[in-house]
Amino acid sequence: MIVGIILALIAGSLVGLQTIFNNKVNEHMGSWATTTLVLGMGFLASFLIGLFVEGAGMFTLHNMQPWYWFSGMIGVGVVISIVKGVKQLGPTYAISIVLTSQLAFALLFDSLGWFGLEQVPFTFKQLLGVLIIVGGILVFKLSGGTEKNQKQVAKAV
Amino acid sequence: MRGIIFAIAGGALITLQGVANARISHNIGSWQAASITQLTGFITALLIFLVVRDGKWQNFKQVKPLYVTGGALAAVIIFSSIIAMQQIGVTMTVSAVLIAQLGITFLIDSTGAFDVVKQKMRLPQFIGIGMMITGVILLGI
Repeated sequence: MIVGIILALIAGSLVGLQTIFNNKVNEHMGSWATTTLVLGMGFLASFLIGLFVEGAGMFTLHNMQPWYWFSGMIGVGVVISIVKGVKQLGPTYAISIVLTSQLAFALLFDSLGWFGLEQVPFTFKQLLGVLIIVGGILVFKLSGGTEKNQKQVAKAV
Repeated sequence: MRGIIFAIAGGALITLQGVANARISHNIGSWQAASITQLTGFITALLIFLVVRDGKWQNFKQVKPLYVTGGALAAVIIFSSIIAMQQIGVTMTVSAVLIAQLGITFLIDSTGAFDVVKQKMRLPQFIGIGMMITGVILLGI
């Protein structure tokens, strides 16, 4: 459990860091050139690390399903949705909704146990936990004073 | 209204991407999953860029190399969140990711690191992070 939480915290810290770097690129290149560059870099890094760790095993794709090839397009859908959401609502509200939606769907996926993940039964305690986190997000985002911060987060995606 | 739907879809797709990666890695391995999703994402984004041409590719020379290579961090991000999802579930993973993400952004903003405009720490942001951590503890116990 602790290992999982630590890994998630590492992932989140790097997402925050990468968001800031991506903003800098975005300022000069626009959102699609940035998205292309970021995914290209991510692929190269993953592939090289994988090659180093797994060797030729990188090329043996057991039980490869056709839809796996298209899963990367989800990320493109993310960019389109968020760019449009921010354009219509402004960064503060759009990003607050995005973060809330992330959590709500996480709870949904856990309770349904889709995609062969271990099912986590839906309980009142879980709902309360998620509601408190969403409350925290809203206090963090909507209390003002970090307008610039929100713009940066919004531009990154 | 359409903006709200787009924002909800954006969040749903971020979570879906994470869950899909965890699922795919179960069959073909984590580094393979990270490579394949980003490769197809890269190709799709490149095709869209070639059609919409919303910016200049050549301008990357004006950006610091550190920022240009920031995308490489995704290798560790995807790998870590795949393992986390398998160990602690989707809700806990997303919650912990969001806490660290907002926390680190806030820290960088308040120190003015990486050429960002320095901003003062404010009480509501502390309260917000505190509430998020409380929620995660509640999920965990």
